[in-house]
Amino acid sequence: MEGKYASDPEWASIKPIPLNDGSESGVQPLATIAYPAAYLEATSYLRAVMAANEMSERALKLTHDIISMNPAHYTVWIYRAKILFTLEKDLQEELEWLNGVSLKYLKNYQIWHHRQVLVSREDFFPTPPHKEADFLMEMFAQDSKNYHVWTYRHWLVRHFKLWDAPREIQDVEALLTSDVRNNSAWNHRFMLRFGPREGEPDAGMPNSDGSPSEKGRLAVVDEDVVDAELKFAQSKIVRAPENRSPWSYARGVLRAAGRPLAEWKDFAGKFVIKKDDGYEAKSSHAVEWLADVLAEETEPASGQEAVQMLTLLKEKYDPIRRNYWDYRIRAIAGQEATASA
Amino acid sequence: MTEVIFNRERHIKYFLRCLKTFLPEPYTFNDSNRMLLAFFTVAGLDILGVLQDKTTPEERQGYVDWIYQCQVPTGGFRGFTGTDFGVENRSPVNEAWDPANVPSTFFALVILIILGDDLSRVKRLECLRWLPQLQRENGSFGEVLGPGGKIEGGGDLRFCCCAAGTRYILRGKDGADIQGLRDIDVTKLATFVQACQAYDGGMGEAPFCEAHSGHTYCAIGTLSFLSRMVTNQHLPAVLSPGATEFETLVRWLVSRQTAELGEVEEDFDEGDEQIEISQCHKPLPTVAVEEADLDAEVDELPALLLPTEASLRWAGFNGRCNKYADTCYSFWNLATLVMVDRLSLVDADRNHRYLLDKTQHIIGGFGKGVGEPPDLLHSYFGLVALAFQGEQGLGSVDPALCISQRAVDHLHSLPWWRGNV
Repeated sequence: MEGKYASDPEWASIKPIPLNDGSESGVQPLATIAYPAAYLEATSYLRAVMAANEMSERALKLTHDIISMNPAHYTVWIYRAKILFTLEKDLQEELEWLNGVSLKYLKNYQIWHHRQVLVSREDFFPTPPHKEADFLMEMFAQDSKNYHVWTYRHWLVRHFKLWDAPREIQDVEALLTSDVRNNSAWNHRFMLRFGPREGEPDAGMPNSDGSPSEKGRLAVVDEDVVDAELKFAQSKIVRAPENRSPWSYARGVLRAAGRPLAEWKDFAGKFVIKKDDGYEAKSSHAVEWLADVLAEETEPASGQEAVQMLTLLKEKYDPIRRNYWDYRIRAIAGQEATASA
Repeated sequence: MTEVIFNRERHIKYFLRCLKTFLPEPYTFNDSNRMLLAFFTVAGLDILGVLQDKTTPEERQGYVDWIYQCQVPTGGFRGFTGTDFGVENRSPVNEAWDPANVPSTFFALVILIILGDDLSRVKRLECLRWLPQLQRENGSFGEVLGPGGKIEGGGDLRFCCCAAGTRYILRGKDGADIQGLRDIDVTKLATFVQACQAYDGGMGEAPFCEAHSGHTYCAIGTLSFLSRMVTNQHLPAVLSPGATEFETLVRWLVSRQTAELGEVEEDFDEGDEQIEISQCHKPLPTVAVEEADLDAEVDELPALLLPTEASLRWAGFNGRCNKYADTCYSFWNLATLVMVDRLSLVDADRNHRYLLDKTQHIIGGFGKGVGEPPDLLHSYFGLVALAFQGEQGLGSVDPALCISQRAVDHLHSLPWWRGNV
């Protein structure tokens, strides 16, 4: 093999370990790939330096080369981090290199985990990396719903306790202004407002061990925050009433506050107008909201009205979910049967 | 309109080509996931019912041997042969660079089961001892053990599901012959997974992350594996019909079905966008003004246009709120609905038309979206989604193990798996 490593004096001391896919011993390898020659050569040198547990500059360069051909290689990233830490490299520089890689491979998961590993080093990053939020917004300009980037940002907020950092809510609002349907931004907002602020930084939920009715509910509720968030959701709903995100958000806010859906009965009612020949709706999610509120009420007429709302969804506004609306109608009929028994 | 057909012969050809010839160069990006690609290939032919006819016993034995070659000496399986620097070179100092991998271990085991292997060469005890070492303090699982036995990999629910699945396969029905072996912390795992339920009912990668169908599948898969192994237990709320957690999960799952396919000619609620643009920079008014404003704004809104039959003819599934349909999400959502016994609540016909008309590819296999070329992941998940809906020519599939019922029956017939009962 006459590749770039074989002909490089820097690598002369290394005896590459070729891929052993078993074909020589008679096994039938599965999912064989037509690898480019450069990848086969580079990985044979990677196996050799890994076998020697080599922590060196040349090995670091090699990991870069492998990552450019296979960014999902799960051990090469761990190996790279170990080399960086052993050689006491400047992690700020590493982060800058990583920015370029991240913009090139948008859908990669390992890149964002590596970033988390680096930024976790408190000796280098006692505070968030410089311009971190700017870089994340650059990523969102490519794909504003990139799950890996949002998960990383979530971690960043908890790690550096950034719930109330002005930049967080500013970025969420900017993203919602450019796309009010960005459910990822709505979710991030929820975490900023209602996520747990104590305990270990990387996981956990208020009352996750609590009884089902208490789970997800905050121990202490700031009613002003709750009211402001409900208003915020309403202001976004009137701009795009068929957008499911703010309706879900409001359900979550009320649940976290331990307040009932019935609080929004009037608001939802504004979107559902009674006409001589039935109802006319301005939002199917408002119809669903009313059905949920009515189904919880105890007056006998409410059950009937809830069924009317669900029938409206089933027959007019949301026929894709016909079977689901029927399931909800059956549940109400079942409740009534139990109540009258 | 002509009736769409499931082109079984083309799919068989597609999977056979993946089995018997090299995958094209772009798959180099997926080199580390070869065990997963191998799973899709073998399991696809099995679901299509042709694995036995289209391969020889020698070939199948060769595949089994390759899987065993991917087993690491300390238990568990690597994701690809690329990390293997030779058993003669392996030492405690370097073994972290060629580790067993949690998802790959699960997929290696299910491929062996599909191929009819009796798992007798699996380092069963080593693997079961390795598994608890990957569990974090918060109950979740990592992907591999790094240097110094450190748990590496993100807090991904995929790892939780594959760990629970591996435990299900290797412990056997009652774990009778491995009493005394340290188990994973089942309670912590179940607690972590349930804490991943987001405010809208779906599950995210970690607590408070955005709900996502892939993670939701993994969450329910995890709980499903755990609950299969215990009788007369108290089911978690998210698996208990009538409980808020369960009913909001079901609502979230059925809400994923969508006629927004992301086609170029798609007209994405133009009216709404105009309203947004005209008002997006409005400053926040005082509360009193705002309420009057809000009423006026709602009054001005037009009534919803009724959807037409034509606009809803094709309806697949998305993986998150306000995203387009994608073949694999037909699988993630339907499989989860099968696990919670609510499959009948979706519109099977519209999903069927979406998969066959829009993402089934002329050369066989399925693409991710409309008009996209086929790939192994979407091809397998497209098939399984159709299998759940009773497509002719496809065998029935276990939703959590994600393999044919025939293969599951084989696992359950192994003497050590059956136990004493």
